[in-house]
Amino acid sequence: MKSYISYFILKYKIGLQYRASAIAGIATQIFFGLVYISIYLAFYESDISNLPMELPKLVSYLWLNQAFLAIVNTWYKNSELVELIKTGNLAYELARPQDVFMMWAAKIYGEKLSSASLRFIPVILFGIIMPYPYHLDLKISLIRFLVFILSFVLASIIVTLCILLFHIIVIYTLDDKGVANMFVLISDILSGGVIPLPFFPKYIINIINIFPFRYIADFPLRLYVGDIHLIDGLYGVLIQLIWIIILYISGKLLMKHALSKVVIQGG
Amino acid sequence: MSLYFNYLKIHLKSLLEYKTSFILSFLSQIMGLALYYFTLICLFQRFSNVKGFTLYEVLLAYSVIEFGIGVSEAFFAGMDKFDRLILRGDFDKILLRPRNIILQVLGEEFNFVKTSRVVEAFVIFIISFINLDINWNIFRVITFISMLISSVTILLSLFIFAASYCFITIKGLEVRNVFTYGCRKMAAYPIGIFKKGFVIFFTYIIPFGFVNYYPLLFLLGRNDFKILSISPLITLLYLVPSILLFYRGVRKYASVGS
Repeated sequence: MKSYISYFILKYKIGLQYRASAIAGIATQIFFGLVYISIYLAFYESDISNLPMELPKLVSYLWLNQAFLAIVNTWYKNSELVELIKTGNLAYELARPQDVFMMWAAKIYGEKLSSASLRFIPVILFGIIMPYPYHLDLKISLIRFLVFILSFVLASIIVTLCILLFHIIVIYTLDDKGVANMFVLISDILSGGVIPLPFFPKYIINIINIFPFRYIADFPLRLYVGDIHLIDGLYGVLIQLIWIIILYISGKLLMKHALSKVVIQGG
Repeated sequence: MSLYFNYLKIHLKSLLEYKTSFILSFLSQIMGLALYYFTLICLFQRFSNVKGFTLYEVLLAYSVIEFGIGVSEAFFAGMDKFDRLILRGDFDKILLRPRNIILQVLGEEFNFVKTSRVVEAFVIFIISFINLDINWNIFRVITFISMLISSVTILLSLFIFAASYCFITIKGLEVRNVFTYGCRKMAAYPIGIFKKGFVIFFTYIIPFGFVNYYPLLFLLGRNDFKILSISPLITLLYLVPSILLFYRGVRKYASVGS
């Protein structure tokens, strides 16, 4: 276990070195926050007959989504791991006495967490100082906050496991585009990254509920802004735990299968 | 220009060596893009209009930008990935040849899979035209064609601007994504739906408004100034400062060596 924690800490610390890219990231996230909010403002000013979310909640959701994008985005690709797989350097990973699955999970988790921790505070501060209707409202009750923290930690584990699944697909296809890309696209939309899920028609939401992706961004963030009832929140945390178990077991099995079939290219 | 087409021919030939891979990625791109159009359609299930624009009108504005993105990402990919040329020191190689620099940079790379965006844009054009009641005449046809041209030129100039920026930073920073992706995202909607500041920005600073908003008004018959039918060509002027800036960068260029 200790070695995995050191991988995590190593990746976390390396990530903290990239300050210039963090500043660029902050600018990007703030700009995108403004862009998304402007688009929805235009919609909300045109037709209010059928609103799935109250405007202040929606705006806060969009800000939080941007602030924590480094964690909740599912289109993160670890170029180091993809290269490993493509070039055949995967052999080195197999030679190590650690479990590849856990080692990669620790690396991905570390990178995600470090890039998020450099970025989220400025984006949130910017959202808070913006006037209405761009204002980010952070007011929350203590109980809700605690449930949010719990669900967010679980969400970060789910997203890591999903991304790991993506990398396992790459072991099979040896290509990070094509099939693997479809996985990224679908998970992005189903997690609430493109439009907030309540904006989808009812029958699509029913389909979305079958997948684990909505527990990455949609669930914790809407829980925070108060769009999900607290009781449903606790229930959702339970589902998150179940998904973590399912994803962990299936990921491990798939990894084992993938590695048993792996052919090292070149020498 | 014939130089560029020679490059194009060579890249096409190399593409034909990997047909299945190309077809698969092309199809997956088409499906992925369709999903984004689908989310837009979902939004219009909730809202009947956005500032008076209906679904098909927004789809038309959206797909005009998508068309430009598709063409420029497919055929000007060399400029889009310019930072790699500089990072690897390959730009020196180009400078040594007695040919036009920009054409050579463009010829470095093609990404034909992105033509899926163009195909998809055309499908959406047809769907929108069927559902919209456009009073076609010669002016409206000219309007539409110049919208398509301007959509490509504005993205090409943005690419060149971003590339010039690489001369200073060496590595293309994420910041330029703010301008390319962020503006694209927003400009895909008719810009008139946004607050005044954005409208000014997209009219005078990055003239996306002339690509798919002002001419769109004419196309839909909401505005009768015939001059609007060639207004998209304003974006051609936008190419001039971007090319000048690029050559300024070339003069200041000091190789990173390797």
